[in-house]
Amino acid sequence: MEYFTRFTAKLSTYLDRAAGWLMVSVMLLVVSNVLSGGILNSPILGTYEYVGFITAMFIGLSIAYCALQDFHIAVGFLLEKLPPRIQRIVDVLTGTVSLVFLSLTAWHIANYARSMVITGEVSPTTRTPFYPFIYVVAFGFLVLSLVVLSKLIESIRKVVKE
Amino acid sequence: MSPFESGIVGVIVFFVLLILKMPIAYAMSLVGFLGLSYLVSPSTAFRVVARETYATFSSYSLSVIPMFVLMGFLAFHSGIGTRLYAFVYKLIGHMPGGLAIATQATCAIFGAVCGSNTATAATIGAIALPEMKKYDYAPSLSTASVAAGGALGVLIPPSVIFIIYGISTEQSIEMLFLAGIIPGFLLMAFYMFTIYYLARRNPSIGPAGPKASWGERFKALRGGLWEVLVVFAISLGGLFAGWFTPTEAGAVGAFGVLVLTALARTLNFEKFRRALTDSTRTTAMIMLLVAGAVIFGRFIAMSRIPFELASWAGGLALPPAAVMAIILSIYLVLGFFIDALALILLTIPIFYPVAVTTLGYDPLWFGVIIVMVVAMGVITPPVGMNVYIIKGVAKDVPLEVIFKGIWPFLIALIACIALLIMFPQITTFLPGLF
Repeated sequence: MEYFTRFTAKLSTYLDRAAGWLMVSVMLLVVSNVLSGGILNSPILGTYEYVGFITAMFIGLSIAYCALQDFHIAVGFLLEKLPPRIQRIVDVLTGTVSLVFLSLTAWHIANYARSMVITGEVSPTTRTPFYPFIYVVAFGFLVLSLVVLSKLIESIRKVVKE
Repeated sequence: MSPFESGIVGVIVFFVLLILKMPIAYAMSLVGFLGLSYLVSPSTAFRVVARETYATFSSYSLSVIPMFVLMGFLAFHSGIGTRLYAFVYKLIGHMPGGLAIATQATCAIFGAVCGSNTATAATIGAIALPEMKKYDYAPSLSTASVAAGGALGVLIPPSVIFIIYGISTEQSIEMLFLAGIIPGFLLMAFYMFTIYYLARRNPSIGPAGPKASWGERFKALRGGLWEVLVVFAISLGGLFAGWFTPTEAGAVGAFGVLVLTALARTLNFEKFRRALTDSTRTTAMIMLLVAGAVIFGRFIAMSRIPFELASWAGGLALPPAAVMAIILSIYLVLGFFIDALALILLTIPIFYPVAVTTLGYDPLWFGVIIVMVVAMGVITPPVGMNVYIIKGVAKDVPLEVIFKGIWPFLIALIACIALLIMFPQITTFLPGLF
């Protein structure tokens, strides 16, 4: 179990680092487009499309790390007024519901990508297929589910210990 | 159940999940999914969840958010916040309450790029509170000034909340930015005046610092500060002049700050990496919220709640101003509990049609007013979020002391909102020029 927790933490951290560099590449792409459009009067073809593709990837890759750091906004102060044991039981409940929903979401985003493979849909300007980017987002949700699972295991342990 | 009833049940379930501490983003998409499953079918609902999530993440118009967030965190990690604070303090620190007044200006600028009330309060609190303690400021004044100031940035461009409001209501982001400028600085001036008045009446709560010479003030501008201010001006100026799309303005700003702070050697690789992590984390938080709100919004629209609410409000014998007062009080109450960004995302599909389409209020004005009212919620006793955040930074100050210090700021904020309601031109004047 320790191994699983460490693995998800490491995996989401690495993905977040990759996401950071992808974000920098979006910035560089947009700036290059501004410069080459403004100075040379020849904007980079497909900038608009690639900004969308890369942005989708880096957000997908960073949602798990965000959850690992408990950075997704939640309203805590009402629950914190209750006894610790009840808080932990509630954590197990919401953790289970979140886990089921998020892993189903990952699965259905992957399904959506598969449907894009079948229909062969591509972007209008650069004729780039959509599906690889959608798969990356699905993978992001899968890792997010793993993070939620490892936190759920942690809460279950605390409940059992008491 | 009729669609309307299922909508009401959905909203109740959402609040229950919120109280149980489920992250707001998960709760919104879960309730949206459950509602769509009930009204249409589970398979359609899953298709909506998958499609809308990817569409949100890959939207070009939303890609402006990570760019401005990155610009903000690059500026922050290169120490701009601290130097900005030092500079403003050299400028006005000799006035009574000068440090607390300087805190307002720092909060406004930092909050603008960061876009979150709570993050601004926490960040500037960590810089400003130790300084104010060093100069013997009364804890009630120092803590309350950061808690109140933390909510300033959401009004001043580039504000993430306005970007999201603009995209979800199809209003121009540039126009919203322009609309927020005067109200934002007006509120900052109100807060500054409040501090000045308090410190004038009772000098012991905010002792005046030593007066800096003009030479010292210019010196404080060096070390990468003025260059970054120029980049901000180019990025936002280019946006207002119509040279850049919002995403381009953000990317140019982030790139400019990166290059200049690297050249001034205030940003090393380690700090750069931290700026990247903070930016991806913040972006992930915001975009998952937006995706959740889109899914939730689809369900709410299908439940016909906005339609029923709008026709109900239209049929009331009350004047529009009274209906607006009811809407604003709902925002105020919800603002006690929910972060401004999440609250605005959540409620736009419900209240925007009523306020703008049915009652005929100006969409820019409505955006500015609800952002201000939400800002009021985060500092109002007994549950104001920013107060708890500041309590986390200043552990030795009792909560009652912070809340006691909040009252004058709350009065200033109410006065400012009243002014904007009486004179909508304050909001609509700048956008009207373009």
